[in-house]
Amino acid sequence: MNILKTLLEVISYRENLNREGFVLKETKDDQKDKPAEDKKTTSPQSGKRSFKKPVRPAEINRDEHLPDNSSVSASLRENKKIIEKLYGLPDNKDIIVRDLVIGTKVPVDCFCVFIDGITDKTLQDLLFQSLMAFADEPAPADKGKLAGVVKDALLPGNQVKIVSGFQDILDAVNYGDTALFLEGCAEVVLVETKGWEHRGIERPTTEQIVRGPQEGFSETIRANTALLRKSIKSEKLTTEFMVVGTRGKKTVAIMYLRDLANPDLVAEVKKRIENIKTDYIADSGVLEEFIEDNPYSLNPTVLATERPDRVAANIIEGRVAVLIDGSPFALVMPTTMYEMLHTGEEMYHRWQFGSFIRWMRALAFLLSLLLPGFYLAVVLFHQEMIPTELLLAIAGNREKVPFPSVVEVLLMEFSFELIREAGLRIPGVMGSTIGIVGALILGQAAVQANIVSPILVIIVAVTGLSSFAIPYYSLSFTLRIYRFIYIALGATLGFFGISMGIFAQVALTANLKSFGVPYLAPTGPKTMGGPDIVTRLPAFFHEKRPDYVNPQDITRQPRVSRGWLRRKGGEKNG
Amino acid sequence: MVKEGTVGPAEAIILLAISNMARIFQPYPRSLVELCGSAAWLAPLGGLAVAFTGVYVLSLVLKKRPGSTIIEITEQACGPVIGIALNLVTVVFFMFVCSLFIREFSEALIIAALPSTPLSVISSSYLIVGLLGAYLGIEALARTARLTYLYILGGIAVLLLALIPQWNINELFPLLGMGPLNVFGLGTYSTAAVTEIIFAAVIVQTFGGAENFGRIGSRSMLIGFIFLMALMATTVMTLGRNASSEATLPFYNLSRDIYLGRFFQRVEALFVIIWSIVGGLKIAMTLYGASVALARTLKLPDYRPLIWPLGLAVFVTSLLPPDLPLAIKLDMEFLRPLALLPNYLIPPLILAAWWYKGRGKRAGG
Repeated sequence: MNILKTLLEVISYRENLNREGFVLKETKDDQKDKPAEDKKTTSPQSGKRSFKKPVRPAEINRDEHLPDNSSVSASLRENKKIIEKLYGLPDNKDIIVRDLVIGTKVPVDCFCVFIDGITDKTLQDLLFQSLMAFADEPAPADKGKLAGVVKDALLPGNQVKIVSGFQDILDAVNYGDTALFLEGCAEVVLVETKGWEHRGIERPTTEQIVRGPQEGFSETIRANTALLRKSIKSEKLTTEFMVVGTRGKKTVAIMYLRDLANPDLVAEVKKRIENIKTDYIADSGVLEEFIEDNPYSLNPTVLATERPDRVAANIIEGRVAVLIDGSPFALVMPTTMYEMLHTGEEMYHRWQFGSFIRWMRALAFLLSLLLPGFYLAVVLFHQEMIPTELLLAIAGNREKVPFPSVVEVLLMEFSFELIREAGLRIPGVMGSTIGIVGALILGQAAVQANIVSPILVIIVAVTGLSSFAIPYYSLSFTLRIYRFIYIALGATLGFFGISMGIFAQVALTANLKSFGVPYLAPTGPKTMGGPDIVTRLPAFFHEKRPDYVNPQDITRQPRVSRGWLRRKGGEKNG
Repeated sequence: MVKEGTVGPAEAIILLAISNMARIFQPYPRSLVELCGSAAWLAPLGGLAVAFTGVYVLSLVLKKRPGSTIIEITEQACGPVIGIALNLVTVVFFMFVCSLFIREFSEALIIAALPSTPLSVISSSYLIVGLLGAYLGIEALARTARLTYLYILGGIAVLLLALIPQWNINELFPLLGMGPLNVFGLGTYSTAAVTEIIFAAVIVQTFGGAENFGRIGSRSMLIGFIFLMALMATTVMTLGRNASSEATLPFYNLSRDIYLGRFFQRVEALFVIIWSIVGGLKIAMTLYGASVALARTLKLPDYRPLIWPLGLAVFVTSLLPPDLPLAIKLDMEFLRPLALLPNYLIPPLILAAWWYKGRGKRAGG
């Protein structure tokens, strides 16, 4: 019978009632946001746009189970119930609630809450040992004071504190701490047991240098702040912590030298970070967008770096650094475009080498921005500029190419961008291999197939190399996009178009500000910039800090910083 | 009150100097050679003296009300009706300068680099950058001038020096060219009329007020006139006075003549870049001047809403002359006499009005 039934099911038609399968339906919140199309007929003011009062993010994300940091109860059972409710236990499997009894002379019931995976097991073992095995103190008669006794006499942890609000407990536990609830006590002991798997201190991946410190930031904020502390051993170095995000809370550290950074600058940085209303900030890049002055400009106005030595040098100049948990990049503000063309390494080499490299970079900046546009302008509009021999060579090579020059350039530029992007995404060693092989083969094949002329391959290759010579990735990206605009301008209006582009770009860039500091300072506007803009003069000439940062102390070193040049009487040696 | 931002003294000098020397890229030097012959390079001396006098008179006017610009002072001195009428003359002057610059620069570019491009395309491009520059304001314009001046002034200096092998010093003789009347009379009038020192008086509050006006104004005039004299001398020495008076764009002709070996020749296209940037700056500045002057006259809190309508009016006006010769004629016969009004005639009038008012008060007292 069964076989017959199965056979019938196979050959007979039945309508599929569950045709759509799983459908993710709209939530109440989605429906709230929908335009009131179907309400038109009912509303008396259907012609007018309905006014909707904006809702604060904090109100949207407010935890309904937790009214404003409600306090811990003295009843252990009640506290446990609340914790279970707040963490969605027992479904939430990595939240551990561990019951234990403190081994005091009169045993005390308690339980610990922590999250498995982000706590240090060694520290926790020590914590449990201290409470269960080595606690021989008598329990206080007043159980309300129990938390204090546990903190002062029983726990060896280096950071232990007592809190009474559930929000504080949740914040700490979510950040790797262990909360200890005690029977009869309306306070909770928080022990710092943070410890999770993380990347160690490694070489920076995007800002490699030949000479100088080889350490890079990692994803752990405390390790990053420690790296800066290690560089700047000063009691004036201040680290302030803030929390950003309502659903996924991220710790943000603001670091500056108290006696050097302009207080207005520090206040502005804090104000901008404090006033971010969002649910989650994934990385420093997102934070940068929230706090920068001109988010619609292509130019980055905050410096992101993964090198602690560079951040330290900036802090010493009176700037403010911002680090966010989970990001190996620190943000430095205020910054200028010239600083984005520095690597910091120039200071570690002899000053002549540093200056030479910077001038090369300035040339690379111009080539990366303008070379393809210039080529098109010359080839299409100003052929008289090209010497006859070169003109004949170019014309000879272009003879077999069927495309107009602008198509040729765009073809090669897009191919180059594709190779670059693919090389970045393909994992490991293969990426760079494919990048090089792709470029070589593609260029060679394109020339042989008469799709592009050889001179154009050279132009695009030099442009690409120049682009790689820009040390700051965001700025390099900016130039890549602007380059296409200059290609369009060069192809349509020749040098005139390029000049108009330069004028517009310079005016727009000169109008930018980074935390109140003109983006093109110290040249536009002219301020006292010090001997460190493009040419890097010897370190003993760096007598002043950059004027545009307006630090509390502008003097970096005295006019004669090489004291050994002076004899005791004040005369100059040698 | 219109908020304009702050400009440093160095930036202000460079901005005003570039504004003053913008005419060297136009057919203007040709007319000067035509007027003064081999002494065309001497003619700016008289213009410079007049410009210095103009700066001095304007600084006296501005010191009457140190916190105000020439626009407010004119109204305070001459009363609301005459004051507004005189201020409108200044606005119209800026608009005509802007309009004729758009036209002449566009025509010059067609001659020099883009023979097949329609005039309207080039004029529109100039209008767009002019609108952008005026919208971004005087700070952005001054910084742009500060950032590009090395290339502009350096480029002009390179051009002039690269022609040394072709200089013929005999072309400078006779020293007084077409005669002292032409050189120091008409030449002075011609060169003094193109200074536009009134622009400095309109933006005076951005660079520190009346006390800096004299210093900044005179230095910018000096730079502008030195470059004009150098260009005139180089033009006459390189092209000869007859060819110079026939060349529509002497600057372009000079750049075509550069020959520094087989590889470095016919580089006039490179000078198009300098040329266009100066043009963009000048157009943006005059449009800005017109908008700010009008906003101050009408006591508007912001000048930016005026930029687009004024820009459109300027653009349309620039297309009205049917060809370049008529545009040049308008420049010579209409704009230069008009320039004398806000630059040299209204300031003494304001001083006289102050004096008259003061006399009235003294008599009343």
